[in-house]
Amino acid sequence: MSVARESAPTEAASNWRFPASLRRRGLAGWVLLLAVVLASAPSVEAGRMFRMTGEAATAMVTGGRSQVLDGLGAIGRQLVPLQISERREVSRIEDFDPNRLPPFSRIETVETRTERLDPETLQMKATTERTAYLVEPVGYLAHVGVKLWETLMIAFWGTLLAVLMSAPLAFFSARNLTPSPVLYGLARGIVSLLRAVPELVSALFLVVAYGFGPIAGVLALALHGAGFLGKFYAEDVEAADPKPQEALAATGANRLKVLRFAILPQVLPQYIGYTLYVLDRNFRMATVVGLVGAGGIGQELKGRFDMYNYHHVGTILVAMFATVFLIDQVSARMRRAHF
Amino acid sequence: MSAGPHVAFIGASKRFPGGFEALAGVTFDVPRGQFCALVGPSGSGKSTLLRAVNGLTELTAGEVRVGGLSVSAASLPQVRRKVGMAHQDFGLVDRASVAENMIAGAVADIATWRALLGLYPVACRAKACALLAEVGLAPEHLARRVSELSGGQRQRVGIARALMRDPEVLVADEPVASLDPRASDEVLELMRREARARNVTVLCSLHQLDLARRFADRIVALRGGRLVFDGPAAAFDGATASQIYGGALESVQ
Repeated sequence: MSVARESAPTEAASNWRFPASLRRRGLAGWVLLLAVVLASAPSVEAGRMFRMTGEAATAMVTGGRSQVLDGLGAIGRQLVPLQISERREVSRIEDFDPNRLPPFSRIETVETRTERLDPETLQMKATTERTAYLVEPVGYLAHVGVKLWETLMIAFWGTLLAVLMSAPLAFFSARNLTPSPVLYGLARGIVSLLRAVPELVSALFLVVAYGFGPIAGVLALALHGAGFLGKFYAEDVEAADPKPQEALAATGANRLKVLRFAILPQVLPQYIGYTLYVLDRNFRMATVVGLVGAGGIGQELKGRFDMYNYHHVGTILVAMFATVFLIDQVSARMRRAHF
Repeated sequence: MSAGPHVAFIGASKRFPGGFEALAGVTFDVPRGQFCALVGPSGSGKSTLLRAVNGLTELTAGEVRVGGLSVSAASLPQVRRKVGMAHQDFGLVDRASVAENMIAGAVADIATWRALLGLYPVACRAKACALLAEVGLAPEHLARRVSELSGGQRQRVGIARALMRDPEVLVADEPVASLDPRASDEVLELMRREARARNVTVLCSLHQLDLARRFADRIVALRGGRLVFDGPAAAFDGATASQIYGGALESVQ
């Protein structure tokens, strides 16, 4: 058998050796991965992570105590009940007009009796103080809604500007379209730089430059998004079928026309996919950049968290979850409708 | 049909950077209005020769003249103005509509801003419709994606697109290689008819020798980058064919 296998060039199929699925190189790869995992575990405290999580899981089943559950529970209990209404002291509201109250709101008056020493008679005297509060039953929820809308618009504008900026970047950093190697290198460099700086970091700087508020958020998302889209648009342009491009070039069409008529129709579905992904990601990132003062719901969340207003934090978290869920549904539907 | 060379190859040679010599001094000329078929085994230089006509391939020696104009980087816009091309795999964008693909054929004549905004001139749209009707497509095909058409219909669109700029020369690189025999007949018949009606010179490479004999006025055969036969289609007999293809097979082995 073995002689026949070595000598005969045409072998019976029953003697063929099907290649092994796990070969030496593949095995070496797995061993290397295992070595890296073990060597790097201490630097991320993997041991403590597994121990504490294990304790928490055990405590959940047996009803015992665990540090993780205690910590989470302490915060979790303070999140509820969610803060829905808004109650403000009338005297602190600027330009308050009692004849024109906001819709669905009412004024509550609270009387507080305090005993005070009258400095003239030197006798204790009861005084009644009346404090008026403006109570809006769904006031805080409405406020969160406004902030969420602002966050959505930050994400939308960030994506819009990212698409606009990435279009020329992609044109110059696609090998088959770029007019010169210098511009190609430059565009690639800019794209890498934009992608290398995380939104949170650029937002820190932009907040200093533009002040607190949505402008910093929009620009931070736009810069990172432009880097991301520039790279992926360019890679798709490079991977597009060259035959229609050549056919168009043969008619004497310039690069922009080749892009519009031979490349764009090919890559459009992927472009829409990437852009929707960036929009989706930007909504979540718009919340995060808000934490450093770049507007939207994130800024509100940070403020409430720092003031220990955990009921408000609870409302914000629930509203954010609901919005992300809604966006997922809408974007899934949009994708299905398009393809 | 005026006499005299319309497309002329003068010692056309092409050596690729890898060292492969695709064309080794090919010289012949084609008078205006002639349907000239190029035959020869794969790798004999047919495509390279055709691509040299509109400058998709740059010759390393010799020259190609189109209507008296030598093909070079400087003359490329004028040359491409005169030469329409049909491709083996049609060169159409499958995802785009037939209408968009037709416009693409004439987009070189449309101002860039108009092309990008989709404001195509009325004359251009009318021309696209007229040509599609001529090649046998129906109005409902206009909005359809190319991927929804049959192979024969796609090549009809490909030819109609090549005629969008009223070329003097139609270059076709194996236009029927991916079509079934019936569609091949129809497409070649269409090419011959359109070329006659417009006095267009056709240079068409073909693998099917019987089609070359039936549709071409003249057959030029290449082997190993050299011209090995040039004569009227009727003169290209079985013996010539087996000589050209058999010899090539030996040289490959």
